[in-house]
Amino acid sequence: MTYQEKSIAVSLVSHLLIVVYYLVNLFQMQQAGGLVSAKVFSLWAIVIVSTIIVNIIGNILTNILLSIVHAIKTRSEHVEKFIEDERDKLIGLKGSKVSYIAFSIGVLIAMLSFAFGQPPLVMFSLLILSSILGEIIGDISQLYLYQKGF
Amino acid sequence: MDKYKVRNNVRKLRFNHDEITQEQLAEKVGVTRQTIIAIEGGKYAPSLELAFKIALVFGVPLQEVFSYELEGDEK
Repeated sequence: MTYQEKSIAVSLVSHLLIVVYYLVNLFQMQQAGGLVSAKVFSLWAIVIVSTIIVNIIGNILTNILLSIVHAIKTRSEHVEKFIEDERDKLIGLKGSKVSYIAFSIGVLIAMLSFAFGQPPLVMFSLLILSSILGEIIGDISQLYLYQKGF
Repeated sequence: MDKYKVRNNVRKLRFNHDEITQEQLAEKVGVTRQTIIAIEGGKYAPSLELAFKIALVFGVPLQEVFSYELEGDEK
């Protein structure tokens, strides 16, 4: 597994954990008598902030941790360069495109739910869910492209 | 419309150039070893710039490294 694949795998696992946390909380709220604005807003905040942290700080931490693991494994002081070449960039772009398409479908479903009489809280919850699902689908498509070669 | 594919002789050229490894070739042209593997396997068609760099490493014209042939047309 290359550095890029490991980094995407870490991002995928983090996004999966976030989406599970989000869905479990939403489900619990629904069971406890419906969505309450204050609780839903705080849940959105947690999910959005965690996603940003995963995308920025997670990447940096992954880089550092992988460098340490590489140094321990090879027992050398030589710093491994994790270069990103043209194929990595193309795979990244394809992944972003897949994420964008998945997110667009999610936005459409959220809008339709509102048009068919669901409250705005449900619509926005679906929007946030589709953004994280879009990231997950993008990560999976990138891993698939790396496994396939391109 | 006929389907064409980019084919390459990278494996053969590596063999003819003192068995240069994929890792060494990757380092010389500034990509990862995985990209060289994907090119050799015909899974990835490199950019024109990378194709020229590979040809430069072997010191041969571009058309000796890459060719554009009908799919299924094995030589």
